[in-house]
Amino acid sequence: MLEQGQQSPSIPGGISGSPAVVVFLETDCPTCQLSIPYLNRLAGDEGDGARVIGVSQDSEEATREFVARTAATFQVTLDPDLAISRAWDPVAVPSLFLVDAAGRVIETLIGFDKDGLNAIAARLGLPQVADAYDGAPARKPGCASRHREPAGSAVLSAPVVVHRATAPQAARITLEDGEDAHEYCRRVFGDALPVVPPTVERVERMLRATSLAPESIIARIPPCYGEATVEKIAANAVMAGCAPEMMRVLIPLVRAVCDERFNIHGVQATTHFAAPLVVVNGPVRGELGFACGQNVFSNVARANSTLGRALQLILLNLGGARPDGIDMSALGNPGKFSCCIAENQERSPWEPLHVELGFRPDQSAVTLFAAEPPRGVSEHTAPGARGVLKAITRALATVWSYRACLHYEALVVVGPEHARTIARDGFSKLDARRFLFDHTGIPVRAYDGDGGEGTQLAHLYEQVAIDGEPCYRKFRSLDSIRIVVAGGAAGKFSAVLGSWGAGPRGSQMVTYPV
Amino acid sequence: MPITLVNPMNETTHPAAAAPPRLATLAGKTLALVDISKPGGAVFLDRLEGLLRERYAVGRVIRESKPTFTRPAPESLIEKLRGVDAVVEALAD
Repeated sequence: MLEQGQQSPSIPGGISGSPAVVVFLETDCPTCQLSIPYLNRLAGDEGDGARVIGVSQDSEEATREFVARTAATFQVTLDPDLAISRAWDPVAVPSLFLVDAAGRVIETLIGFDKDGLNAIAARLGLPQVADAYDGAPARKPGCASRHREPAGSAVLSAPVVVHRATAPQAARITLEDGEDAHEYCRRVFGDALPVVPPTVERVERMLRATSLAPESIIARIPPCYGEATVEKIAANAVMAGCAPEMMRVLIPLVRAVCDERFNIHGVQATTHFAAPLVVVNGPVRGELGFACGQNVFSNVARANSTLGRALQLILLNLGGARPDGIDMSALGNPGKFSCCIAENQERSPWEPLHVELGFRPDQSAVTLFAAEPPRGVSEHTAPGARGVLKAITRALATVWSYRACLHYEALVVVGPEHARTIARDGFSKLDARRFLFDHTGIPVRAYDGDGGEGTQLAHLYEQVAIDGEPCYRKFRSLDSIRIVVAGGAAGKFSAVLGSWGAGPRGSQMVTYPV
Repeated sequence: MPITLVNPMNETTHPAAAAPPRLATLAGKTLALVDISKPGGAVFLDRLEGLLRERYAVGRVIRESKPTFTRPAPESLIEKLRGVDAVVEALAD
C-alpha cells in the first residue's frame, strides 16, 4: 500500500494541480456504502470542498447502480482490470489517500473512521464531515481489496446495497368502505395494543414537524434491518399517539438505538429480560411535557408513554423483532410496551446524567440503557447516606444473578427523598457512585462449590473486604454504575435496573443530543 | 370517503440467496465448525468434530469462533469461511 511521502501513480482524470482525495471502493462492501455521505461532505455540496475521486473495483453496471442508490456526488472512476488498485495497493476498501498538488501521498485512512475523516477535512481547511451522534459507529473495518482477494473469489452475485440514502415512499393502504381502521390495524399490523391508525393526514401532520425529507433513511433497524425513513418513523409515531413535536426527540432516539455500541441487534434477540430504557434530560422535558416525578416509570404523562411506545413500535415494525418470533426473551419485560423516564433535575442535589456524560446543562439529551425491569429498594429508617446507599448495594448485588460479577452494569434511579438524605451527608454524585462500587460485593462464602452461574469465573474476580467480610467485587469499575434522580417527592424509595451483558461485547449505554 | 393509511411496516426487501445444494457425502469434504462463543459451545463442537471424523471421514475441519454471541458474525469471520463445503454453527449454554 502506498504510504505517506510516496509519489502516487497516475489515475484517470489526473490529480495534479490541487490536493485530491482518492478512495478505493467496492459496491458490495457495507463500509464503503456507509462512507459515501461523509465523502460527499468532503467533496462539498456544490463542489466547494475537496476533489474526491472514487475508484470502483466493480463493473460499470454495479458501479452505476451503487452511485445512484448511495447518492454519491463525487466522480467515480472504474478500475475494471484492477490495474489502478494494484498500483496504489490498498489493503482494504474503503482506503482513502490524501494526495497533495504534486501527487505525493500525505495521509492514508483504511476503513471507516470518523476521527480520521475529520482530520483529513481539517487538513483541507474544511468543516468537520462526521458527526459523533449521527448513529454511525466511530470506526468500522472494511473488506479486503479486490486485487488482494484469491483468484476466483471475486465473483459477484447481485451486490446488496445496504446503505442507500433514501427509500421509496411508504405504500398507501386504502381501506374498503366500512372497514374499521382500528380493527384493520389490529389485524394486519398485529400489535397487542390498539394503535392510532396512521392515516395519510395524521402522518403528514407529523412530517410537518420536521425539516427532514420523508424519504431520508435515518437508520436501519436490527435485527431485520428495515429502513427507518422519516415517513416510516412518523407513521409509527402516529400509531403510538405522539404529538408531532415529538419528532425532534424521536429522530435522534432512532439514531441512538441503532448506534452499534448499543447493540440493539442483540438486545432485541436475546432470551434475557433486557429492553431499551429511555432517559430524557435537559430543557426538552419541560418543553414537551416529560414527567420526572411521581409514577415516573408508569402511565403518568403522554410524552413518556408515547415516546417509549413509538420506539417499541419502530423496533417491532421496522426491526422485525416480534415477541412471537425473533425476540426470544424467555420472560419478556413490561418495558417492551413503553419504557421512558425523565430525570428529576429540579429535585436532584447533583448534576444530571447528561451533564455528567459531557453535555451542557442547557442541552437536551436522550440516553438508552438496555435494562431489566426495576428492582425496588425501600429504605425508610436509615438515618443517613450510608444506610440508604447500603440498602441500594443489596439490590445491586442481585443484578443478573447474585454470584455473577464483572460483566454487568446498573442504573440506579434514586428517589428525591433518598437523594436528599445522601446529599445532606456531603456525598456528591461521584461519591455516591464510588460508595456503591466499593460496598457492593458477594461474600466469598456464597461460592460454595455447587458450580452455579457466576461461580466458574470466580478466579477472575477481585477479592476485597467489605465491612470485614471477604467478598468478590460485583462491578468492574465505577463507570459500571450510573445514577439518575427521578420519582415523586414523597416516599423513601429508589430502584436498581440491571443491564444486559455490558461493555463492547454486549450493550453500552449511549447518549445522544436532542 | 375511504380511509388511506401509510404502511408503517418494513418494506425493505433483501434479495434472497438460494441455498446451496445438499452435500451428497461428507467424505473428504472441508467443514467449518463455528462456535458462537456461548459457554459450552466448544464441548459440543469437540464431540461433533470427533463424530464427523470417525463416522463420516471428513477431509478437513476448520474451527472458528465469533468474537461474541451478542452480535452478528463480522465480515472477517465470513471471509475465513469462504470456500469450505459446509458450515455448522452451534450454540450452547
